[in-house]
Amino acid sequence: MTNQMLKIDNLHATVADKPILKGLTLSLNPGEIHAIMGPNGAGKSTLSYVLGGRPGYAVTDGTVTLDGKDLLALEPHERAAAGLFLGFQYPVEIPGVSNVQFLRTALNAQRKARGEEELSAGAFLKIARAEADALGLERDMLKRPVNVGFSGGEKKRNEMVQMGIIAPRLAILDETDSGLDIDALRVVGEGINRIMRKPDKAVLLITHYQRLLDYVKPDFVHVLADGRIVRSGGAELALELEREGYVDIAA
Amino acid sequence: MMLALPSTREEAWRWSDLSALPALAAASPAGGAVDAAEQWLGLGGPRLLFVDGRLDRDASAPGAVALGPVDAASAHPLARLATGEGWTLAVDGVLPAPIEIAHISTGGANHLPARIVLAAGAQASLVETFVGDGWANRLTHVELGERARLTRALRLLQTTGFVSLRDEAEIGPEAHYAATVLGAGGAGSRIDAALELAGKGAFADMGGALLARGEQRHEAAIVMRHALGGGVSRQVWRAVADDSAAASIASRVEVAREAQKTDGEQSLRGLLLKRSAAVNLKPELEIFADDVKCAHGAAVGELDVRALFYLESRGIPPEAARALLTYAFVVDALELIGEGPVRDAFVADAARWLDGEGQKG
Repeated sequence: MTNQMLKIDNLHATVADKPILKGLTLSLNPGEIHAIMGPNGAGKSTLSYVLGGRPGYAVTDGTVTLDGKDLLALEPHERAAAGLFLGFQYPVEIPGVSNVQFLRTALNAQRKARGEEELSAGAFLKIARAEADALGLERDMLKRPVNVGFSGGEKKRNEMVQMGIIAPRLAILDETDSGLDIDALRVVGEGINRIMRKPDKAVLLITHYQRLLDYVKPDFVHVLADGRIVRSGGAELALELEREGYVDIAA
Repeated sequence: MMLALPSTREEAWRWSDLSALPALAAASPAGGAVDAAEQWLGLGGPRLLFVDGRLDRDASAPGAVALGPVDAASAHPLARLATGEGWTLAVDGVLPAPIEIAHISTGGANHLPARIVLAAGAQASLVETFVGDGWANRLTHVELGERARLTRALRLLQTTGFVSLRDEAEIGPEAHYAATVLGAGGAGSRIDAALELAGKGAFADMGGALLARGEQRHEAAIVMRHALGGGVSRQVWRAVADDSAAASIASRVEVAREAQKTDGEQSLRGLLLKRSAAVNLKPELEIFADDVKCAHGAAVGELDVRALFYLESRGIPPEAARALLTYAFVVDALELIGEGPVRDAFVADAARWLDGEGQKG
């Protein structure tokens, strides 16, 4: 109990005054990978955006702590500096800003916020290139504007390159597997394991399908339905869901 | 001096704010020592320092630029004040390095005419920087011979006051004229140009970025006239307005009956950083030829909230995220500057303006 990393308690949230999360409770310990599965409209993406602090997602009740600190009191950039990484289902295209410029600015802002020294351009590029290579993203794409002209799969790889560069303590990955072919799925799965499968890190994988979980073995699987966790179990629960669908299990 | 100014009731001046000019015209410059060191980009070419419109000989190395009476006159309501002594650049070869001109004003008003004449095949490049306070009023006449090539880069960085530019150019056959303007200081501006693509196959490019905050008014009024056929004109302008500032761009392309196969393009885009700010864009086409290709686009918007959240979710503070997206918005207008060090300096000036925006919260 004492070393819980992320603790979500009775979380209620609305989007445009519509209740989406209705009393969600969930805890992650360091070293654990949790998967959240559930039907469309259950609130999976809302959970990731609420944890990331996206404007328009209003918390109406409940608490969330990261390492014992009130996460909801922090601005989005402060959450990042505290170790939270949000992998987007739909990564945003930003014309005019290169990947390198974006990530170096982001990494150095985080380091500055934590009282660490900023990285030089050379040191940063070394890390960025190594991550791009490891995730099979052409190095050339680091110089291109953020996600502009990237295919769906390249955008997701780019999210993982960002995660590798930023090296967060807690990653919330929203449907990182969507839009990936089977080879890309393996590369991304291996990336998640390599970057995040560590005793002091944790991952919350939000996914529709079991297939990513073949590569990233979860320690726990939760079913989210109508804004609440309705069932939790081990990795075998994902297989059961794949076999039998959400309807019976959520019922 | 009785100062007669155009009224905002005139269509060409409807977005102008010339209200500061009568007081500046009546005032005297503060004078005193000025330090131009920071204004030079170190391009290795001739340098001219004008303080309140007068050449500072000790701080200048004019090279091919001649000082004295200038053979230029204009009926333009502001530029007609720029008469008498000024500078003339007449070139019949290829200048090896850009000419740098710094205009430092210390208050009051100063008026300066200039003339650039490039003979057939000649090439030159100029960078002009405006700093200080007061009203700097300029008339620049340009004449480009066949296949001549002129590039100009203009930085408007005055802290207060007003900068008015009037460019009148006659671009000869297959000649190339390119001017990029950055408005990134605290002064108001009126950037006014009448560029005539007088020869067949002439090329003209005029564009830039106007950044306005506080009560500031930036304004560009550009007319490109294709007189003969086969010409190409380009106008890429980016306008950014914060607080209750306004940035306005009126850009017109005229295509005469004889100017078949004209290719004209205008891209005008505005970014409002606050709802209380204003961006006015007026793209205009007047075409009398029947075989032409003219494209124009104009759009005003705000920063993309999805992009802002994406940047912030990676740890970039909100003000820095806004600055980064604003930078991305303006930078494509400045990247058209061909010379690396000049482009870098302009981009750095724009970034400095954005940093100021960051500090204001």
